[in-house]
Amino acid sequence: MSALAASTARYRHGMEPFATVLVRRMFATWHDAAISIVCLAFVIWLLPKLIGWAFLDAVWSAPNATPCIGGAGACWAVITARWRLIIFGLYPFDQHWRSGLACLAVVVVVVLSCVPALWRPVRLSLLWLGGFLTFYFLMRGGVFGLSLVGTERWGGMALTLFIFTAVAVLGMPMAIILALGRQSELPAIRWLAGLLIDTVRALPLLTVLFTAAVILPFALPDWLIGDKLYRVIYAFALFFACAQAEIIRGGLQAIHAGQLEAAKALGLGYWHRTWHIVLPQAFRNSLPATINQFVITFKETSIVIIIGFFEVLASGHAAYGTGDWTSAYAEVYVFIALIYFAFVFSLSRYGAHLEKRMRLGHD
Amino acid sequence: MTDNARAEAVVLRGVSKFFGTFQALKNINLTVREGERIVVCGPSGSGKSTMIRCINRLEAHQEGSIHVLGTELGDDLKNIDAIRREVGMVFQQFNLFPHLTVLENCTLAPRLVLRMSEADAEKEAMRYLERVRIPEQAAKYPGQLSGGQQQRVAIARALCMTPRIMLFDEPTSALDPEMISEVLDVMVELANSGMTMICVTHEMGFARKVADRMVFMAEGEIVESNDPKSFFEQPKSERTKQFLSQILSH
Amino acid sequence: MMELTALLRSGRFRGWLYQTAVVSVACLILISFVVTARHNLVAQGITTGFDFLQRSTGWDIPFALISYTINDPYWRVFLIGFANTIFVGTLGLIFATLFGTFIGIARVARNPLLNALGTVYVEIFRNVPLILQGLLWYAILTRLPSPRQAISIWDSIFITNRGLYIPFVAMSHGTFLFIASVFVLAGFAIALLPRLAGIGTSRSGFRRLVRTALLTAAAIAVAAVIGARDPQAGLITIPMLKGLRFEGGLRVTPEFTALFVAIVCFGSAYVAEIVRGGLLSVNRGQLEAAGALGLRPFHVYWYVRIPLALRAIVPPMGNQFVWLMKATTIGIAFGFSDLFMITSTAINQSGQTIEILFIMMSGFLLINYVISTAMNALNRSIALKGYETKGT
Ligand SMILES: Nc1ncnc2c1ncn2[C@@H]1O[C@H](COP(=O)(O)OP(=O)(O)OP(=O)(O)O)[C@@H](O)[C@H]1O
Ligand SMILES: [Mg+2]
Repeated sequence: MSALAASTARYRHGMEPFATVLVRRMFATWHDAAISIVCLAFVIWLLPKLIGWAFLDAVWSAPNATPCIGGAGACWAVITARWRLIIFGLYPFDQHWRSGLACLAVVVVVVLSCVPALWRPVRLSLLWLGGFLTFYFLMRGGVFGLSLVGTERWGGMALTLFIFTAVAVLGMPMAIILALGRQSELPAIRWLAGLLIDTVRALPLLTVLFTAAVILPFALPDWLIGDKLYRVIYAFALFFACAQAEIIRGGLQAIHAGQLEAAKALGLGYWHRTWHIVLPQAFRNSLPATINQFVITFKETSIVIIIGFFEVLASGHAAYGTGDWTSAYAEVYVFIALIYFAFVFSLSRYGAHLEKRMRLGHD
Repeated sequence: MTDNARAEAVVLRGVSKFFGTFQALKNINLTVREGERIVVCGPSGSGKSTMIRCINRLEAHQEGSIHVLGTELGDDLKNIDAIRREVGMVFQQFNLFPHLTVLENCTLAPRLVLRMSEADAEKEAMRYLERVRIPEQAAKYPGQLSGGQQQRVAIARALCMTPRIMLFDEPTSALDPEMISEVLDVMVELANSGMTMICVTHEMGFARKVADRMVFMAEGEIVESNDPKSFFEQPKSERTKQFLSQILSH
Repeated sequence: MMELTALLRSGRFRGWLYQTAVVSVACLILISFVVTARHNLVAQGITTGFDFLQRSTGWDIPFALISYTINDPYWRVFLIGFANTIFVGTLGLIFATLFGTFIGIARVARNPLLNALGTVYVEIFRNVPLILQGLLWYAILTRLPSPRQAISIWDSIFITNRGLYIPFVAMSHGTFLFIASVFVLAGFAIALLPRLAGIGTSRSGFRRLVRTALLTAAAIAVAAVIGARDPQAGLITIPMLKGLRFEGGLRVTPEFTALFVAIVCFGSAYVAEIVRGGLLSVNRGQLEAAGALGLRPFHVYWYVRIPLALRAIVPPMGNQFVWLMKATTIGIAFGFSDLFMITSTAINQSGQTIEILFIMMSGFLLINYVISTAMNALNRSIALKGYETKGT
């Protein structure tokens, strides 16, 4: 019915050219016209400058920064000269293909996660675990005749993606446990999970990571201290888990009480009920919010630069900070911003699409 | 065979149930023998649902004792599991699992609880789906079925566990009038096959046809318990008369 | 034997068992943390306890709202950090909200051009990490001309790589800030208390009350500013180049500006999405009804659409505020001295790890608590009467 109405509306609009409709809407009333003129002036002022800087006057490749000096355009030469440093950090130069493949594996995993046929707990877990292990062994080597590269030499986009996938893979099960704990019938467990979740959620991510990196070694016995990177990843995963737990809890609360009663009446025990009835439904209910949380987490991985890791922002600093590229800082930042943008924008668009579809009840 | 010769399926002795300070069940005594068909009726809020939900421990009673098939229902988790395996339940709101197909709804519990193989479970499930006359819907999801079809799937799902007792909590109240009979037909058939049934329902035609005994509840108490003929024709208490006149007046 | 199996099979007993197990494991972990930490600190010769709060720090803070010297004690340093976080956070939230609301409205406007500009803005600033934005702004700000080549606007505002210099009232920052915050708090109290208390049911009477109160408060603030100023200087000082640097006026450091601008840009993009969602959530029928009553489009917006949208806007906005407030910690990446930077420096300098960590976390928990309490109160006060969601 509504689809029919929409299609006839589209048909009617299709009768006149799109541009005419646009112009008519822009000048519908006198204040619409005023707003349009101001906006147009702004666009006309900005766009040529932007295009000039980014394309027309830009220097696309040069062995050093000299051709850029005094120019009015962007110095993209810094990217052509230093992109490997930005993407791969200090990873051994002749092994960059491994790092590249590893990043590709993560991208493939993320894209596959958007396929509804794979939205089963087991399938998704296997997908992410597989992706993570592929990434890890490609990067680290030591198997299949690949040379060993320690995590201290990982860097750039690859390190960012490693932290992101590790946080997701570790954090998701933690989130599920915390969410179930918070919904438990046992008051002490409910209270403890609530205390942990609320406390961690009230703290800035940076303080949690800082605690894990700098302060936790004081409070751990020597044999447990381990590598700083892994401590930070565990702490990040905990932070992610506490936020995600609240999202899953929302999904749990949206499940009709009758579902649990029917499962109990069929004789299913707690773990069977949870795994086969509760979690699949909670997962579906919370999918749009979960995607949003992934997007936020991906953006937040950039924060580890402050704890002293050589992720993509830090390798960007190195790219313009050394040699004679110092004036090309903006180009490097814009390049990194574009990488983030491509990833985050497409994922959040997908999330919005999914949310709309679910709201319309196509599922 | 006289009634008393048959084994006791469900025995409630002095059962009381409180929600906070509110007493929903007051000293309930009820014995259901195997093969017996009980229809429970009474005004809204009288505790009918609460009573049958106590029988498979969806609600925990506080006083008195409940025995199902000779096993006492209490805090003992093993007993609860054992009893739930033998007692099937059908809800007013169907409560089918929306993320599973009709077939998966029916095979889930036999596979997980009875550890049946997938093939066996599916064969059994198809048998029961045929019995409720919707084998052709097996691959669909609950959301794609009508209310009457959903409720018949719910009955098949419960039967797949081969229960010895079936509980029905107003199985037709959420249905459009034209779908009620398809569900009642299935229930009549089930009753004729000798299943022990406790039904909460206001379908008096159904009650007359299959009930061995009518139980009338009001304000958390069993007010009257009698065979259908006497129950409908010579109700003993004023409360029952009033209820029957309201429900049969249209 | 019989009794033991019966006990093990009892639901209540199992419940107790699980709870005891989980709680004792949690306690054990916590206790082992504390014991190990104590042991390690003692090994380094650090005495635990809060006595160090009275010691003087011996290090400087680049950005302080209240006067500070390196001889000041630790507690004052923490206070400054707390004030800095609140200051940049609050200012950032206010501007992000104003700006974001404007863009959110643009995003639902009928004018396609305005609409498109709003969309571009939101997508750019929302999809790039906050810290990257902050670093970019900071890099731009510190590459501006030096004070001697400052970009000047009307000879009273100067833009340099050392910061932004603007005219300012002639009084210490602390005094000014005190007066300003008293004014703002008074404004909030006057605006919100009667509503929360359920007084002031008549809308127009309520408005008049608020207006008089705000005007009175403003008059008192102006009087206070004039009264508390440094009598030697004029009422306002204007920055002037003296040698290599500026004197007079107010210097806004590049660290502050970078963090502030980043928070406003990033925050406003999110606020815009929340506002847009709220405006779109208003039932079309209600807008049509208002139009059918003959209300002008602006009045429909102001009296019907915005008040109704607020109900959908306030709850997510509260979460956003908390998030932004916590996000001010990224200022450490380019050296803004917020609570986090100051506490981490203090840990480095004094070694009082556990105590300072406790202070830092309490600070953030307090901020979080205040914002969520305020937003909940606001939410309750604007809830539609008779449509409150019942708790389940
Ligand atoms: N979870 C609960 N908490 C508190 N009170 C409850 C709860 N469940 C039921 N009650 C109360 O117990 C009483 C009996 O409820 P019950 O659902 O058994 O009634 P019913 O006879 O099934 O009514 P209906 O015909 O409307 O289904 C009612 O007064 C109800 O308000
Ligand atoms: Mg009922």
